[in-house]
Amino acid sequence: MMDDDLDRILSGDDSIVPSSGFAGSVMEAVRREAAVPPALPFPWERALPGLVAGIVTLGSLVVASLSASSADLSPVPVPEVLVASAKWAIATGAHWVTLALLVSYLAVKFSLRLAGRP
Amino acid sequence: MSATDDQADVERVLSGDIAAFESLVRRWQGPLVNLAYRFCRDRARAEDMAQEAFLRAYRALGLWRRDATFSTWLFALATNLYRSELARIPPRTVSLEDAPALRDSRTIDGGLEERDRDHVVRQAVLSLPPKYRDAMTLFYFHDMDVAAAARSLGLPEGTIKARLSRGREILRAKLPRRIGTVQPKEA
Repeated sequence: MMDDDLDRILSGDDSIVPSSGFAGSVMEAVRREAAVPPALPFPWERALPGLVAGIVTLGSLVVASLSASSADLSPVPVPEVLVASAKWAIATGAHWVTLALLVSYLAVKFSLRLAGRP
Repeated sequence: MSATDDQADVERVLSGDIAAFESLVRRWQGPLVNLAYRFCRDRARAEDMAQEAFLRAYRALGLWRRDATFSTWLFALATNLYRSELARIPPRTVSLEDAPALRDSRTIDGGLEERDRDHVVRQAVLSLPPKYRDAMTLFYFHDMDVAAAARSLGLPEGTIKARLSRGREILRAKLPRRIGTVQPKEA
């Protein structure tokens, strides 16, 4: 089979005509879409303080655990504020709050992605 | 079909007039359904895919940059969707060996009726690896315009030409063993 044959066969492909209700059906779907309230934005204003506190806490914990594990070899002085933050986080459970916020955020992003929204 | 009409309708939709979207749908429903049909060869599925393409276009209308025509943007969006849909649920293709047209439609001299041969060739395009299938489908859909096919697929023209060449090569290797030249019908 030559290219010319292929060109002739594939260019002369049959066209189909959309069914009579196609445009109506699309518009119905569009109107349904338009009637859906916009997706709730992630509540950054409420979550931000918790996220910041959580990040500081987690950072403090990491620094504290690193310095504790290497204390015998090369003691690294840990800033007092980090130690205090770590103690506060452990006492109040802030690290769990942070983790929950992060998981919620990722779940929302993932759901929106699945729903095909930016 | 006027690019100005498209732009005016898009502006109306973006300013809240949802009904203006119907003009866009009516203007482009034929091409979008036909493009989908060439990808799947199933009328009902083609309409479903085209409807989803319009819906996505509606959602993303604000993202259309005016540096390309609305139709270019719409075809690229639809092509992306159709390719994803076919990757998710591949089209029903018949292997060349099992094609009923080949078994049942031979003429007395052993050749195939022209209509059946064309059907088999189109089915063969669907059974190509996706990158060649997509290039060939878009190229012929856009009346053999490489640039338009390249824009729809978001690829350089050179890549499209290479894929077309390879796709044809594969088809030529597959088809001649089974399909000879169509014999002219006796008067």
